[in-house]
Amino acid sequence: MNHPHLCSRRHFLHAGGFGLGTLALAELLRGDGLLAAPVKPHAPGESPRFDLVPKAPHFAPKAKAMISLFMMGGPSQMDLFDPKPMLQKYDGQKFPGEIKYDNLAQASSKVFGSPWKFAPRGQCGMELSELLPNLAEVADDITLIRSMHSGVNNHGQGLYALLNGRVTPGRPTIGSWLTYGLGSETQELPAYMVLAHPGGLPTFQGEHFTNGWLPALYQGTLIRPAEPRILNLDPPAHLAGRPQDRQLDLLKSINEQHLAEHPGELDLQARISSYELAAKMQTAAKEALDISNEPDHIKKLYGVDDPKTRDYATRCIIARRLVERGVRFVQVLNSGQSWDQHGSLISALPANCIATDRPSAALIIDLKQRGLLDSTVVHWGGEMGRLPVLQNDAGRDKWGRDHNTYGFSQWVAGGGFKRGCVYGETDEFSHHAVKDIVHHYDWHATLLHCFGLDHKRLTYKRNGTAASLTDGQEARVVKEILA
Amino acid sequence: MPFRVSLFLLLTAVAARALDREVTFERDVRPILKAHCTHCHGEEEKPKGGVDLRLRRFMDKPLEGGGHVLVPGKPGESEMVQLIREGEMPKKGKKLTAEQIAVIEKWIAQGAKVTKPEPETLALGMFITDEDREWWAFKPIARPAVPQTGSDRVRSPIDAFVLAKLREQKLDFAPEAEKRALIRRVTLDLTGLPPTPTEVDGFVADTAPDAYEKLVDRLLASPAYGERWARHWLDVAGYADSNGFMEVDSPRLHAWRYRDYVIRAFNDDKPWSGFIAEQLAGDELAGATHADTQQVMLDPHKRDQLVATAFLRLGPDGTDDGAPDTKLARNQAIAEEIRIVSSSLLGLTVACAQCHDHRYDPISQADYYRFRAIFDPAYDWQKWRNPSQRLYSLYTPEERAKADAIEKQIGDINREAQAMSKKFLDEIFEKEVVKLPEAEREPYRAARATAEKDRTPEQKALLKKYPSALALYSLDLYDKDAQKKVLDKIAEGTKLRATKPPEGMVMALTEVKGVVPGTRVMNRGDHDQPKQFVEPGELSVIERAPLAPKPTDTGSTGRRLAYARWLTSGQHPLVARVLVNRFWLHHFGRGLVNTPGDFGALGEAPTHPELLDWLASDFMQGGWKLKRLQRLMVTSTTYRQSSLSDASSKADPDNKLYGRFKMQRLDAEALRDTMLAAAGTLNRAAFGPPIGIARDLSGRIVVGQEELNANRDIVKVKSLGKDDFRRSIYVQVRRKQPLTVLEAFDAPVMTPNCELRSSSTVAPQSLLLMNDTFVLDTARAFATRLRGESQGDARGQIVNAWRILFGRSPQEPDMQRALAYIAEQTEAVRNYHHGIQHAKDAPAPDPHLDALASYCQVLFSSNRFLYVE
Repeated sequence: MNHPHLCSRRHFLHAGGFGLGTLALAELLRGDGLLAAPVKPHAPGESPRFDLVPKAPHFAPKAKAMISLFMMGGPSQMDLFDPKPMLQKYDGQKFPGEIKYDNLAQASSKVFGSPWKFAPRGQCGMELSELLPNLAEVADDITLIRSMHSGVNNHGQGLYALLNGRVTPGRPTIGSWLTYGLGSETQELPAYMVLAHPGGLPTFQGEHFTNGWLPALYQGTLIRPAEPRILNLDPPAHLAGRPQDRQLDLLKSINEQHLAEHPGELDLQARISSYELAAKMQTAAKEALDISNEPDHIKKLYGVDDPKTRDYATRCIIARRLVERGVRFVQVLNSGQSWDQHGSLISALPANCIATDRPSAALIIDLKQRGLLDSTVVHWGGEMGRLPVLQNDAGRDKWGRDHNTYGFSQWVAGGGFKRGCVYGETDEFSHHAVKDIVHHYDWHATLLHCFGLDHKRLTYKRNGTAASLTDGQEARVVKEILA
Repeated sequence: MPFRVSLFLLLTAVAARALDREVTFERDVRPILKAHCTHCHGEEEKPKGGVDLRLRRFMDKPLEGGGHVLVPGKPGESEMVQLIREGEMPKKGKKLTAEQIAVIEKWIAQGAKVTKPEPETLALGMFITDEDREWWAFKPIARPAVPQTGSDRVRSPIDAFVLAKLREQKLDFAPEAEKRALIRRVTLDLTGLPPTPTEVDGFVADTAPDAYEKLVDRLLASPAYGERWARHWLDVAGYADSNGFMEVDSPRLHAWRYRDYVIRAFNDDKPWSGFIAEQLAGDELAGATHADTQQVMLDPHKRDQLVATAFLRLGPDGTDDGAPDTKLARNQAIAEEIRIVSSSLLGLTVACAQCHDHRYDPISQADYYRFRAIFDPAYDWQKWRNPSQRLYSLYTPEERAKADAIEKQIGDINREAQAMSKKFLDEIFEKEVVKLPEAEREPYRAARATAEKDRTPEQKALLKKYPSALALYSLDLYDKDAQKKVLDKIAEGTKLRATKPPEGMVMALTEVKGVVPGTRVMNRGDHDQPKQFVEPGELSVIERAPLAPKPTDTGSTGRRLAYARWLTSGQHPLVARVLVNRFWLHHFGRGLVNTPGDFGALGEAPTHPELLDWLASDFMQGGWKLKRLQRLMVTSTTYRQSSLSDASSKADPDNKLYGRFKMQRLDAEALRDTMLAAAGTLNRAAFGPPIGIARDLSGRIVVGQEELNANRDIVKVKSLGKDDFRRSIYVQVRRKQPLTVLEAFDAPVMTPNCELRSSSTVAPQSLLLMNDTFVLDTARAFATRLRGESQGDARGQIVNAWRILFGRSPQEPDMQRALAYIAEQTEAVRNYHHGIQHAKDAPAPDPHLDALASYCQVLFSSNRFLYVE
């Protein structure tokens, strides 16, 4: 079940990375000649200024941008990505082992064999479910990780682990770390954009794109699910052009003077920057978010022509357009926790797949044909997977599966990841990851690596310590999945 | 470091410390076992391998395959140690650290003793240890001694506690804030509106030693105070004017009386003990049950008590809107209410225990249902009453009689109209029937006179043969004049109905006399899988005595009243702490506990536990009076500090120690209301039904009324006149259509409630301040006001603008820039108007006003305006 979220607490966790500590750290890193230098040089005693101009990574990157197709709820890996003949063999029988239930007292131990067929796909022979016919077409372009593990049960903790590295809310999300570390390739659009589902935000709302205690400059900007996707892009007619520039110039001078009276208030800085961005967005965002001029064959490729896929297809095209224009991180969200099939899996899971499969695969094809896949990480996955045994034993049409964070799947493509690669294994029932386990922090370290960032060195100074995404956990760059 | 120490690190740290001293089971070993072992070994129905590690004595049971879990004094021979050392156990999840293993070994080596007797019996599942009860938030609220600081900056115990902590870090208070900053801060804080220039001048000129205290008293007495502070409580209570849950998000037409009740409660300084009791059990206080509520409400005092119970009806509820799974929808509505009550008053994530024992706090699933049982007689999901069936009319008997009489008259009129219609049709028929062949006339007449369902196939065929002769319906097709006469008659009834006295409705929660449903634990939170029955009660970990509800004379169970009495008894460990923490949070920008909805293991520890307790006990001893407590807070040195302190900013960027006043952005409502106040358009009318909202052609949600065309497309948004400018708290709160200007600045979406707002800084906010019609219109109104107040005086207008918005005058360079800007902008707008053809009826262009308005807009957009220092 859902756990309550705070409406967001980032305000109260105000970024605090200034003072000599940060300066010293920045100097130290710069001395290496290797660093991302998110903090601009500043004289001793002065407060640092943060910005979004591009920064050099620690080493040569493969990836420049990322699109995360986040599937909140826990997509069922044994029905989509991780075929297990043993599930068929034991279908309906007692599970021959121990199940790590989310809720022990209330579980069924009856094995639930996947109702869907798997087959090898592509040259690589990656086995995928019949529920993902479009993904099958691009199997040779993706890396499928079948051994994801966070080991923290339930949605909230699982989500936080996957997005911010720890099981608690209020920490910066991946997109914030990337924009903090690398800045943005565009100064006309937000560096970190979030495309919401028409049905509303996922259960934990703003925690999906919070900057945590990083400066507010690095928070995700939420884009509305329908036109107008961003409100107020049109200046009033009598002020359009030069008069509005004049307004913004005056505003900037008033704000800079105010900031000088309140040195080190990062929120004031962030707001000054946000006006500069807003001014440019008036033209840039409208163009970027408008897919009407996309050719018909592209719209068809994604599925804009089909009511079942129209929304997701449109958002995937927008995500591609944003990346083309230099946005660093785009998150495409679902609503609620729509992959959380505790019941009615047999009808609900195909519905989810139909809505997302074609657009997701099209995104890979489209990025590839534009030569953008090599520099763009596409990620598809949720915060957990599901159990091999059934839940809600009230008739087959009501069967579902409970949570499983001990072994689940996600796929990635582009940006330096291998093609046609299957990595890691779960046990023969797809319960526990047993071989080549990828913990959430390993995933983070690997991801940052693709962007040329060392997870141990991408830090933010706060309260006297150097905070990071992996937060001192024994994270490993999974080189085996890198091209 | 994460901002919360993880449980794992905590345990490791405890384990490491334990090695230096005698190890005890209760303090050192059990937490390790609970975190790693007892989930399988003790807390499930059949402990794995028959091994139950919850109690020391259970460990003496021989293992199934021979051998012993532990052998006192001999860690090497204890299987438990071996299995853990070899990494065999725990089977799943994190392995134990070397320190933790060392603790267990040391404990066994020391004899594996317990320091106190273990419980005789132990129920299945979670059991609550003394150590659980020792969690800081569950311990009784103490009245800590106030530290002696010897500082003349200390005005009250608050300052003494804060200064003592600051000194530990070699810090001190920041200097007192400048007077102009202080009056803006405290006025916005207490009323959500800015001080007027006259008020600022008066305060600056008042050199009396108690000038500030007088100011605070004036603000606390202002009606605006309640409108501001009610909003904070409405967030936690999850107030909305719509039902949520389903996509239609239907309007909740009568919720506003609760909103008004809350505003009045704050303004009247109603003690919180009573405020809580009325919200939880106003119906039982008033002696009302479902059938007699309307009667009881004739007493205005009791009516208020019933209005207060809407607190328990504020969550999303789809049962009136055709939610597909009725049983589920009802239970979800209840679950949302439980979430609201527990997060608002207990500051615990009780809702996490709906489907399973709480993972981090000692709250069992059975506890959840015991808690729910307090409220179940009123909700009763099996004999559920939809929201529309929980409304009670405010008619007096006289009004009711009058309304009934009018309805009767209307009935007569309608019957008369029907008779007229029939008569007209019969006359028409007589003319038509003669056109038929003679032989068929009588059969046709008979067929027509037969009720439709009784007609024989032959009759039906006959009628069909001559359809135009039938003349049973559609009078208008035969004779428009006759139809008009009928319609005029019906209109008489409609007109009459408008003379009925308006019928107000109250949304309230009541029980049905004598109906007491049993509450059962629901397996996995599933209402279709009920398990054992439970009795109503407080969460076990903080329970001091059984609830012992006393049924009221009028037939209500008294459960909620008994619970309210316990909450406000002065003995409850959480309520007062949770409340004062929230008040503190709103004044100081961060809570003493910075997770106001979670005082449990995953929450943050209090930065100033003694201060929190002192405030909580003082609040209770002072009669649960909020204004008294707030006066103490805002007159403290801690509150009156400048926002500038280099030392504090550097050493304590999050301001956990309160060594300065942390700058805060205006929240959504204060932002909108302050702009309206500056423009002079703010309508201070209070109370009443919510002000309507509409979607404008650009997709914004604005105040107003949608005007639709025949296709039900929005053509334009009509103004509501002066109601366009009411305070934000009076604007309709639709869960799916939040007002754009409020939503942009983090007004929460109620799903179901909000324990802590965020304060974001994103480009859409800047776009709103640059281009939104509300901002443009309000800036124009502000410019109009400025010109009206300083006619022909360009400098005076600018001075006035600064004084109204910032409480201070501009410096000369500010002035020079402003004058130059307005001159340039006037010219630019003049050129713009030259270039376009205006409609004939359009008002004449006023480039200077446009330019001045654009200047006002810049000031509205400035950080000096948006932030409070």
